[in-house]
Amino acid sequence: MPPPSQEMLLKYRPWRGSFHGPSRAVWAIARVALGQMVHRKMFWSMYGLSLMIFLFFFFGQYLMFWLDTQISSQTFSGGSLFRNVPTQGLITFLKRGAQLDGSAQTFGNFIWFEGFIVVIVLAFVGSVIVGNDFHYGSLPFFLSKPITRWHYVAGKCLAVALFVNLMTTLPAIVLWVQYGLIDDFEYFIDNFHLLLGILGYGLILTVTLSLLLLATATWLRRTVPMVMVWMALFVLSRSIGRGLVDGMRFDPRWRLIDLWNDMYLIGHWIWGTPHQQLRPLSQAQPEYWQAAVVVVALWACCVVYLHRRIQAVEVVS
Amino acid sequence: MATSEPATTALRETVAAAKGPISESASSESRPPVLLFEQVSKWYGPVLGVNHVSLQLTGGITGLVGANGAGKSTLLKLATGQIRPGLGRVTVRGIDAWDWRAKRLVGYCPDIDAFYEEMTGRVFVYTMARLCGFSRREANERTEMVLQRVGMTDRADRKLRGYSKGMRQRIKLAQALLNDPELLVLDEPLSGIDPIGRQELLKLFRQLAEQGKTLLISSHELEELEKLTEHVAIMARGRIAAVGTLQQIRDLLDDMPLTVRIDADQPRTVAKLLLASPDVVGLDLEAKQVRRTDEIGGTLIVRARNPRRFFRDFGRLTLEEHIEVRHLEALDDSTHAILGYLLGGSGKT
Repeated sequence: MPPPSQEMLLKYRPWRGSFHGPSRAVWAIARVALGQMVHRKMFWSMYGLSLMIFLFFFFGQYLMFWLDTQISSQTFSGGSLFRNVPTQGLITFLKRGAQLDGSAQTFGNFIWFEGFIVVIVLAFVGSVIVGNDFHYGSLPFFLSKPITRWHYVAGKCLAVALFVNLMTTLPAIVLWVQYGLIDDFEYFIDNFHLLLGILGYGLILTVTLSLLLLATATWLRRTVPMVMVWMALFVLSRSIGRGLVDGMRFDPRWRLIDLWNDMYLIGHWIWGTPHQQLRPLSQAQPEYWQAAVVVVALWACCVVYLHRRIQAVEVVS
Repeated sequence: MATSEPATTALRETVAAAKGPISESASSESRPPVLLFEQVSKWYGPVLGVNHVSLQLTGGITGLVGANGAGKSTLLKLATGQIRPGLGRVTVRGIDAWDWRAKRLVGYCPDIDAFYEEMTGRVFVYTMARLCGFSRREANERTEMVLQRVGMTDRADRKLRGYSKGMRQRIKLAQALLNDPELLVLDEPLSGIDPIGRQELLKLFRQLAEQGKTLLISSHELEELEKLTEHVAIMARGRIAAVGTLQQIRDLLDDMPLTVRIDADQPRTVAKLLLASPDVVGLDLEAKQVRRTDEIGGTLIVRARNPRRFFRDFGRLTLEEHIEVRHLEALDDSTHAILGYLLGGSGKT
């Protein structure tokens, strides 16, 4: 039996206070979605993989810098297989192959690799955090509360944004800071535009993946179709683009169907990478602005679709 | 979209205009009505979900009844601002129901059972409280209050996955009560609840109505609904076929005379007297006899127009003629019967 004061506290009584605005609900929605995401084992296994990529870049940068500054003139003994490897050769490999030199390419490659893990995770959890609201009809719980459908969209997008940035932008910033610390403080000043580029690329990824996830999950709702469509968008379209442009020598604009490449191009546009220096050098690429037009058009399509779909529509046959 | 029968259409207009307790209270209040539908229509592509609906609620409990596909769920979704009308306007206390400010005045208990199954009941209600705009501390307090109100405090830490249908209903009701709404919209709130639980919830609904809240309850449980309220809105083919008290609606069904069963000692005498009344349009006699002339009682099935006047006249007649009536029962003034008449016998639209 609770004490009288506690009993009074529990007693249902009319609300006489004031409510906060609906923007507060955005975080509540995002928190629920993140909770659903992290409850999946698959999330943690993919997160572990992304951590390995990060550690490769982290220690790779350190190794390259150490080799470059400390033992560049020495010979490196790599065991029975790589006996007497000249250190300069290893440095060249790390610089040219893995691009671990704190440049725009370093961060571009890092976000590129991490981005694939992000896409895989989102393809699998999209149905859980968004699709189920439509498939099982739990959307009315949200839409009957004092929020608009855009608060719902913003809440879900915030969850996706936090995840995307946790996997891409944040570790990329850590790599930028790390390189500045092991190199020279001047690096921060001279390469401040790289930090802005990381943030810009992260923003492009965040907005694109958030909107695309919401739109496709709202449309498809179930996990298997979601995975299939996302794989088609990010893997199949890439293969087709390569086949058309590199194989059949079509116009480079055909590569615009590769959404992942489009975002990569915009990222490098923000970093200020000259178009002819885009790697791999053998691939013909469309113009930066063309990639931007495709991505912005995709955003517009997603927003229009979400505007039409996010309401508690009962299908009457 | 087909319209209802001509008589029903006329009835709808008449009953909607009739002055019931709710309309009277409306005139006495200067504030805008709690819920107002003004000429509302809603299309789903080529399908008309709600057709030209006008409705006003200012207090008390109103039952919303109708066959499947009649447009009840659409009406409730319009009332709770989840969908926007194609034509017309839905307002809650004068604010467009689609506006998030209006939703602060509304609590909605949907008929679906789709939750985040991994969550506990308490976390689910707390999350909904946060969506309502409560701060963290307030959300915790309100969560405990509403859980206690629906009798779920001791079971709130279990995951929703393990909840029975009745427990899910209570949790849904709890989240609808969080913001202390003026208008409570309940879609099939008694479905799946055991008899004891039903009584508890019916009591809760009555208490909420007594506290000044307006309840709009859609239910197929007509008997339970009758226990709760006399005031109903009947929907058919996307239209409000009738709205008012059951008595008002029944009285206006002129082409469907009320059927009354009368058990009396002298049924033939009673039949003769009743046939003289202009309100009686038909009569069946089932008299029990031991010999050819000795009646020992029987049953009369009387079909009468204008039930109120019929009962008044019949009461006077029994006193004047010293008729002994053993049983008197109106056979078709229940919600079920009225619904059947309005929707075409079977109740199907």
